[in-house]
This record gives sequence, C-alpha cells and structure tokens, in this order.
Amino acid sequence: MSVTSGPASRRLYWPAQMQRNRGVRGLFVVVALFVALYAYLFPGLLTVGGVSKFAQSWFPLALVSMSQALLMLTGGISLSIGATVSLGAVIAATTMTGPLGVVGGLAVVMIAGLAIGAITGVIVVRLRLPAIVVTLAASFIIGGAALLILPRPGGAIPTWFSDLLAGNTPAALILLIVTALLWKVYLATPLGLSLYAAGENPVGAYRGGVPVDIARIAAYAISGLLAVGAGLFVAAQTGSGDPVIGTAFTLNSIAAAVLGGVGFLGGRGTMRGAIAGSLLLSVMINVMFFLGFPPVAQYVAQGLIIIGAVALPEITGRRGPR
Amino acid sequence: MSIAESETTRFPPRRIGSLLKNRAFLTFLIVVLVWIVAGFAKPGFGSFGHLRYLLELAAVIGLVAIGQTFVVISGGIDLSVGAIVTVSAVGVPLAADLGDPTGTVPVLIILAAATGIGFLNGLGVALLRVHPMIMTLAMATFLQGVLILVAGGSAVSTQNPLLHWFGNARPLGVPAAVYLWVVVSALTLLVLHATPFGARIFALGANPLASALSGVNTRRTTMAVYAIGGLSAGLAGVLLLGMNGQGYVGIGDPYLLASIAAVVLGGTSILGGSGTYAGTIPGAILLVTITALITVVNASPGWRSILFGSLILALLLFSGREARNR
Repeated sequence: MSVTSGPASRRLYWPAQMQRNRGVRGLFVVVALFVALYAYLFPGLLTVGGVSKFAQSWFPLALVSMSQALLMLTGGISLSIGATVSLGAVIAATTMTGPLGVVGGLAVVMIAGLAIGAITGVIVVRLRLPAIVVTLAASFIIGGAALLILPRPGGAIPTWFSDLLAGNTPAALILLIVTALLWKVYLATPLGLSLYAAGENPVGAYRGGVPVDIARIAAYAISGLLAVGAGLFVAAQTGSGDPVIGTAFTLNSIAAAVLGGVGFLGGRGTMRGAIAGSLLLSVMINVMFFLGFPPVAQYVAQGLIIIGAVALPEITGRRGPR
Repeated sequence: MSIAESETTRFPPRRIGSLLKNRAFLTFLIVVLVWIVAGFAKPGFGSFGHLRYLLELAAVIGLVAIGQTFVVISGGIDLSVGAIVTVSAVGVPLAADLGDPTGTVPVLIILAAATGIGFLNGLGVALLRVHPMIMTLAMATFLQGVLILVAGGSAVSTQNPLLHWFGNARPLGVPAAVYLWVVVSALTLLVLHATPFGARIFALGANPLASALSGVNTRRTTMAVYAIGGLSAGLAGVLLLGMNGQGYVGIGDPYLLASIAAVVLGGTSILGGSGTYAGTIPGAILLVTITALITVVNASPGWRSILFGSLILALLLFSGREARNR
C-alpha cells in the first residue's frame, strides 16, 4: 500500500477490509460451525499436534484453491491443475534423491510449475484461445509428461524432508500463513493491482494503461507454481510420487473457489474466501470420515452441500457474492 | 456419405470464400484430409472396415456431444455427461424389464431417468442460479455416490436384445449405431436451426438478459437444454452398453472431455451463443481419428497422452479462436 499511505488510508484500511468480507460472511459462519463440530467430535484437534495434522490434510487443497481462484479472478480457469499437481509430485520424487539433492529438486519443481503456467498463459492470452479448452488439452500434455517421468508410483522423498514438512511439525500451517501473506504482498505490486482490473473489465483496464496481458500471464505462471507446490507437499506426505495423484484436485479447486465466492467471470471474489472454501471442503471430508459415513453418503453429501452453499444466497433472496 | 450431404444442405455454398470461413466445413475438411493422408501412409487405415469402426466409435461421442452442443450454445457447460453415461450403462440391467422380451422397457426407463438427471441440472442452474460448472460438477459427484450404491463397483453385463442389436447389427454393412447417430443428428440439426426453441437457445447463449427481456422463458429453455443433455448422454450410455456387452463404473469418464473437445473443434463458441451441431459431427469423427492414429503409433501411454493434447491444441488454433475484444 505504498501509494496510499497516510493517516486517513490507515484509518480506512480495516473498514475497507471488512467491506470486502461482505459476500463471504455467511461462509465464514458455516466454516466456523463445521470447525466447531469437528473439534467437538475430535477434541485432539485443539492441540498443537492436532492442528498441525489437520493443516497437513488441508494444505494441498488450500494451495490448489488459491491457484484456481487466482485464475478465476482474472477471468480465466484451469482444468489442468490436477495434472500439474501430479507433475510436481513426480518431479519431486525423482529429483530429490538424485544428484540434484533437495534444494536442486525444489528448484526444478518450481521452475517447471512457473514454466508450465507461463506457457499455458501465453497460449490462452496471446493466441486468444478459450482457457477452459486450452487447459483441458494441457491436462493431457502435462499428465502425459508426468507418466513419462514416472510410469508407475515410485520414486522417493528424503525422509528428513518428509518429516520436516509432513511429520509432527506445524510446517504446513506456517507455510499456508506465509503463502497468504505473500499473496497480500503480491496484491500491492503493480501486477497484483492489475489482476482485479484485468478480470473485471479487460477492455477498460487495457485502455486505462493496465498491462492486462502481462497480468494474466503472470497469474497463470503463479497458478502453476502453487499447483506444483501442492504436488510437492503431497509427495512429501506420501514419501513417493504417483503420476495420477492430483486428478481430484482439479474439480475440488473449482468447488472451493466457488464456495468461497469467487466468480467465474473475473474480478469478483477474494482469496480469503477461496481459502475458507477449501477449509470448508476439507473439514467436511474429515467430519464425514469421523462420523463413519460410508463413501456413498460422502459423495452424495458433498454434492448436496456444494450446491446448497452456492444456492443459499439466491434462495434467501440476498444477492450472492457475485 | 450422409454426413457430407447434411453438411452441404445445411450450408449452401454461395461463395467459396464464405465456405472456407465456415468452421463446421473446415473441420470436416480436416477430417477428410487426415483420412486421405493416413490412408496412404498406413495401409489398412483407409479400408472400409476400419473407417466403419471409427464411425461407430464416433457415434457414441457424437451422441454425448449433442447435449453438450445444446448446453454450450445456451451459454452453459455440462460436466456431468460422463457420470450420466456411466449411470445409464450400469443401470439398464438393474431396471425392471416387466417381462418385455425385446428389452425396450428397461432402456426407456433408463432414458427417462437420464433425462430426469439432466432436468435436475437445469433446475439447479435455472432456479437456484448455481453456476452450470458447479451444478453439473456436484451432480457428477452425487451420481458417483449413487453408482457405488447400485453397482457396488463390479461390472454388470446385459443380454438386452434391443441394445445387443444396436451395438452389433450391421444392416447393409453399416453399423446400427451409425444409423442411430444419423437419425438423431438430423433431428438435432432440425431442432437447433429450424424451430423457435432452437432460436431461443441461441438467444439465451448470446445474451440471457436481452432474451429474457424480449419474452424468452429463460428458465424453461435452460431446463429443457439440460434435460436434452441428460437424454443424449443416456442414449450414448445405453448404446455403449450394447456395444461393450458390459458396463462398469468409469465407463463414461472419457466422454466428458471428448464431448467438450468435439463441440469446440466443431467451431461452437465455448462462451455460448454461436455454433452448430453440424460442426460437432466432424469434430467427433476427428477426435476418434486422432485417437486411432495415436494408437497406431506404438507409443507409451505418456507419449500418447502428450500427442493427443498437442494435436487438440494445434487443431484449436484453426477452429477455436476467440474474437479480438479490443
């Protein structure tokens, strides 16, 4: 907020932030209720270990939800997030025990994510192809690459690295907070500021001198980075790589973002909403598991809750977060 | 070739220039070119038996893509078609046959059920105003649960005579499935381009607010469009069961992406409001052809997947570009 520093803007900061919560307040209440229910069912949640464990099961979904929400804010969407997660996992599992070591492996994973995202972004933005179809085709290419790197589940993550990320440490929670703070920082940069403008009204933003194309391509690149990050974490959790482990993340990321009030047309929604949406999904799955729901009921309930949560603002007559 | 005929009657070639700008025709041209090249490059590819087989496979994708075309033109998207295909394929042996020796009754029950599922999608999109992607996605999740409930994860087989005939009979040397596809396609083109209902779908996709203000019942149209989506996916599902002889959980999964790809390759705008099923037909054939060619190239699953994605991406450059918006 370098441009608008001063006593007045500082006084306005928190009211403005509260104002931005308007559309997702109902969601926050629902999330709080679910977390309370989960804590009641599983009292161990309220210890450091319990929170760490829960954060570990939530972290990958939170990352892919941010990855999806970021694109949806610019008016895009990605159906290749699941494949990108898988690719991140297999690259991590094949490089980290090799000559590159953990640091080298980390670098390769991050570069791959940024590059894949940027290439997808250039194709969508510069060649003017519809994002949904490009990322659909990209999901085949990226998924194929993951299969080439590791045809069947295997590879390994060094044990100390697995323990650091997914052992008895609150690493996942800390990483999530750091990621959220980095998002705040990004929003304050020129590219971050362009993000909402490019999604809300691309033509107007372009005419107003906003670097629309660059902002959108950057969004795709960052989205790719977040997705491979989720893959890296999943690999650390399981201690190995699996070329199809990310498949379910594509649809869950869209569901979480939409639950969080992020609109499909761009420019509408907040990252905190998307993170809350992913928290709701993750707690829901855990609660149903604890209540001993059979898988059938889990699928059925998941479908109904997603529709209900999105439709509720319409039914009650309030205008939705869109 | 019946497809070629419907192509030219639908789009009378007034000028060569306008014909070359017609995406449906362009996609058709690409199919013909690929067939000719592949026929020369690989002996056996161009044989009648092989092309007939390709058309038979394309028929299933083409049927699923009918509903997808309707939904996409109306400005939505249906991500539940794969699940509906699976439900219909697995559901037929479970439906009561009421002592009907031809096996028509269970098929009709399943088709009605599939239409009902599509109608529920429409209900959510039109009345609850849930975004189509979320509504149909949640429906797919829901159906996945129902499937495990009814099928328990095991494969089901059928001796349904009607489906067996549609899946295997070849009157005059052409598969019955292809006849079915041709008839349903003609019906689709008629509904889409020559009825008030079809015009309403295009209006809805181009500008929902304007069409509502000019008297289109957008809710009813939306529900009808999604119901058609369910029906066509159900039709594809029972046909698939007839061809395979058995149904299993996951049998319909590939048809979700295939249907969307066929629609977009055929030049229908994913944003809604413009397009034609006449383009989706060659789009479906093109998809099957690409898959067949990739299978011929003896590559690992990874390379096959990469080739498939790259080819779709390359074809999109010809047929899927959006208009410049500034």
